[in-house]
Amino acid sequence: MTAWYASLQTKLILSFLILIVVISGLTFGYTYNETKNALKESTQDELANIAGIMATQVDGDVVAALEPGDEGTQEYLALVEGLRVMRSSRPDLDTSYIMTVPLNGTVTFLVDDTWGDDVPGEVNDSVWIGDAYEDAELEAIGAAVESPSTSSEFYTDKWGTFLSGYAPIKNAENRTVAVLGVDMLATKVMQRQDFIGSTIYLIMAISALLAALIVGAFSRTIIRDIKKLNATATAVSMGNTDVMVDVERNDEIGELAGSFSRMVTSLKIMMMDRD
Amino acid sequence: MSGFSEQVLELSVPYLGPAAKKFLERQTTSHMDGLSFDQLQKGHLPELGKWVEISAGLLIDKAKAKQLADKIRALA
Repeated sequence: MTAWYASLQTKLILSFLILIVVISGLTFGYTYNETKNALKESTQDELANIAGIMATQVDGDVVAALEPGDEGTQEYLALVEGLRVMRSSRPDLDTSYIMTVPLNGTVTFLVDDTWGDDVPGEVNDSVWIGDAYEDAELEAIGAAVESPSTSSEFYTDKWGTFLSGYAPIKNAENRTVAVLGVDMLATKVMQRQDFIGSTIYLIMAISALLAALIVGAFSRTIIRDIKKLNATATAVSMGNTDVMVDVERNDEIGELAGSFSRMVTSLKIMMMDRD
Repeated sequence: MSGFSEQVLELSVPYLGPAAKKFLERQTTSHMDGLSFDQLQKGHLPELGKWVEISAGLLIDKAKAKQLADKIRALA
């Protein structure tokens, strides 16, 4: 009796499983990477579009007139409320804000839609008019003076790691007076990427399992017939010619069974003649 | 060897192997009044078919034995 680990069935299933895992792994790696990049690009486009749409809803003349200390004014509060309402329609967005156009490599904040959310005694991160935006993505913000743009990669500032979209805010004379920004937390983008990764992984795991089951079932019939042939050969080798080859297949094993059957039949005839 | 003997032998080898001629010889001499297999004629084929079906059925699968017998009978 052949040990299970040395049997053809085990070897066949293992070989196919290894083959499937290798092919799946390579396909997974390639597909996941491509999908991840495509997802990031589509998120960037989405952010640029959202920023572009939001920017058209902001009154550029009101923004241009903002001065430090205006935070409590009706105009400022209306801008904050407007940004909050627009942002709330997209729960995956973290914040939206308005900045000055970059000047001498510096950007300052004008409106922050989290303004007024600060809780006394806690770490408060809303900004005030005129606060400098350190670690700003100057290149992307500068590009947004002309048309909507996005971060080329995830970037980190003191509020976290984000992917952002930027768009110009124009005044009545169609001149860019400020830039609107919307942030999506990197974790949100990564969650999307991870979801795709998990889905691909799940599909591949199911495929590998199905393939293993099919190979298992297929090899089982082969092994069953080889075992029958082996049992017949063993019986004949022990002097028992009163056996028949009970294997009916249309493949090479069937041909082997046919040859073996002819051999046994001839042996029987010759032994009968000798008797 | 007659033409019929050759045809019957050709049909039988795939079923009975290289000892087919010995088997057929035994059938004709034992069951057909000592007829030599080499002298087989068209009129002997139905009788030979009958004995092949019976005797080969003891050596190989009965369905296959019948299949061979039918082929032999069809030569007549």
